[in-house]
Amino acid sequence: MSGLLEKDLRLTVKRKQTLVIFVFMALIMGISTEGTFIIGYLVMLGIILAIGSISYDEYDNGFAFLMTLPVKRKTYVLEKYLFCAGMSAVSWIVAVIVSFVLETVRGNAVSLAEELPMMLMIVPMMMTMAAIMIPLQLRFGAEKSRIVLFVIFGAVIAGSFFMKRLVTPEESSLQRLAMKLEGLSPALGLAVSFGICLVLCSISYLCSVKVMERKEF
Amino acid sequence: MVKIENLIKNYGDFRLDVSMEILEGRVTGIVGKNGAGKSTIIKAILGLIRPDGGKVTIGGKDIAQLTVADKEKMGVALSDSGFSSYLSAEDIIRILRKMYRFFDESFFRAYCSQQRLPMNKPLKDFSTGMKAKIRVLTAISHRADLLIMDEPTAGLDVEARNDILDLLREYLSKNDNGSILLTSHISTDLEGLCDDIYLINDGRVILHEDTDAILGRYGILKVDGKAYDSLDKSYIIGTKKTAFGYTCFTNEKQFYLENYPGIVIENGSIDDLILMMTGD
Repeated sequence: MSGLLEKDLRLTVKRKQTLVIFVFMALIMGISTEGTFIIGYLVMLGIILAIGSISYDEYDNGFAFLMTLPVKRKTYVLEKYLFCAGMSAVSWIVAVIVSFVLETVRGNAVSLAEELPMMLMIVPMMMTMAAIMIPLQLRFGAEKSRIVLFVIFGAVIAGSFFMKRLVTPEESSLQRLAMKLEGLSPALGLAVSFGICLVLCSISYLCSVKVMERKEF
Repeated sequence: MVKIENLIKNYGDFRLDVSMEILEGRVTGIVGKNGAGKSTIIKAILGLIRPDGGKVTIGGKDIAQLTVADKEKMGVALSDSGFSSYLSAEDIIRILRKMYRFFDESFFRAYCSQQRLPMNKPLKDFSTGMKAKIRVLTAISHRADLLIMDEPTAGLDVEARNDILDLLREYLSKNDNGSILLTSHISTDLEGLCDDIYLINDGRVILHEDTDAILGRYGILKVDGKAYDSLDKSYIIGTKKTAFGYTCFTNEKQFYLENYPGIVIENGSIDDLILMMTGD
C-alpha cells in the first residue's frame, strides 16, 4: 500500500505544470469571487488529480506490471480511494487557508467557526463524485469512462426532470427529506453528509474491487 | 517451483492448452513464433488472465492463493509493461523501498551507476536498452526466488542484450536455488542461459528438451531426393523440401553420423528447432 501511495504521490508531483495552473486558477478564483467557491473548486481539482493517477497506471499497459507487484488487487483499489481522500483533504486545507487570507485582506470579518460546516460539506460532496468516477474509470478506462459519466449525468438530469413533472412537491419524499436536512443543526447535517458519503464510498469500493478482480491484463 | 497442469485459455479461434513445469534452480525457456502463446502462459502464471481450465501452482500454491509475501519472492519483467514512463530511476528506488522488504538499494544504485543510467530522467527519455535494463534490474533486486521474464531482450542491440544476460547470470550466481522462466525468440540468448526449453506452437507444447540435448543430439541432415528415399526416418522429427532436396531435423544426430557417412550433417540449434518444428 505505502509503495502505491509513494508512486501516486510522485506521479502527481511530476505534473508540475498542471499543479501550477491549478494554483494560479485558484488564486484568480479566490480574488474574483467571494465565499466558498474556491474551496469546492480546489477540492474538485485535487480529486481530479488523484483519479488521474489511474490514467497513468493504465497508460502504456502499466496495469499488467503493477498487478505483478506484491499488492493485492483490492489493496490497489483501496489505495485509490485513500489517495483521493488524502488529496481532497490537502486541497481543502490549502483552499481554506487561501480563502481565509483573501477574506482577511479584503477586511471581511471571517468567522471560521461559522463558515466551517459549510466549507467541510464540500469534502463529502466531492468524495461522492470520486466514488462515482473511480469504478467507472477502472471499468472503462480514462476515455470511455468520461462518456459513461456524461451518459449517467444526462440520465440523472432527465430522470429528475421527469420525476418533477410526475410528482407534486407535497408528495415528494425527497423534498421532505431535503427540508428535514435543512432543519438539522450544522454539526448534525455534516455528520449525516459524511455518513452518506462513507456508505456511498463503501459501495463504490466494493464495485471497484469486483471490477478489478474480473479484469484481465 | 512452477507447475502448469492442462492450462486452457481461449481467445476467439486461438486455444492455449499446455502443461509444463519449471523446476527449482533451473532456467527454463519458452520459444515459439509470434502468437504461439508464450506471453499468454506468462500472464497465466502471473494471474493476469483467468484461465478457462487447468491449474497453475507456484511453490505448490494455487496462484489465486498467493499472498503478498509469496509475490515478494517473485521478480517480473514484462516486455510491454512496467513502471510509468513518467517516473525516474530515483522514483523507482523510493517505490521499491516501500514495496519489498528485501530491496537491495545499494545493488540497484551501483548497477545504475555502472551502466550510466540517469537517476533523475523520466523513463520515457531512456533508450530501449536502458528501459530493458531497468525492468530486469527491478525484477532481480529484491532477493526473488523466481524470475519471470517475458522477452527481456526483445528489440535490443547485441551489447544491451549481453548486459541483460549478464544481469541474469549475476542473479543466478547469487541465488543457487533461484529459478528463471523466460521467453525469447533470440536463440543465442536461450542457448547460453537455459537448462531446458519448451517449444510452443499454436498454443501447444510440441517439444520439451534439455538445451544440452538440443545442441548435442539434434542435428540437420541435408540430402537429395535419392538419399532421402533410402533414409531411415525413425529419428527424423521434421522435414522440409528445398530446391536441392530435403532438409531433415533429427533428434539422433549420432545415428545418422554412424550409418550415413556420405550425407551432410550439421549441428542443431534452437533456431533450427523452431524453423523445422513449427514451419508451415
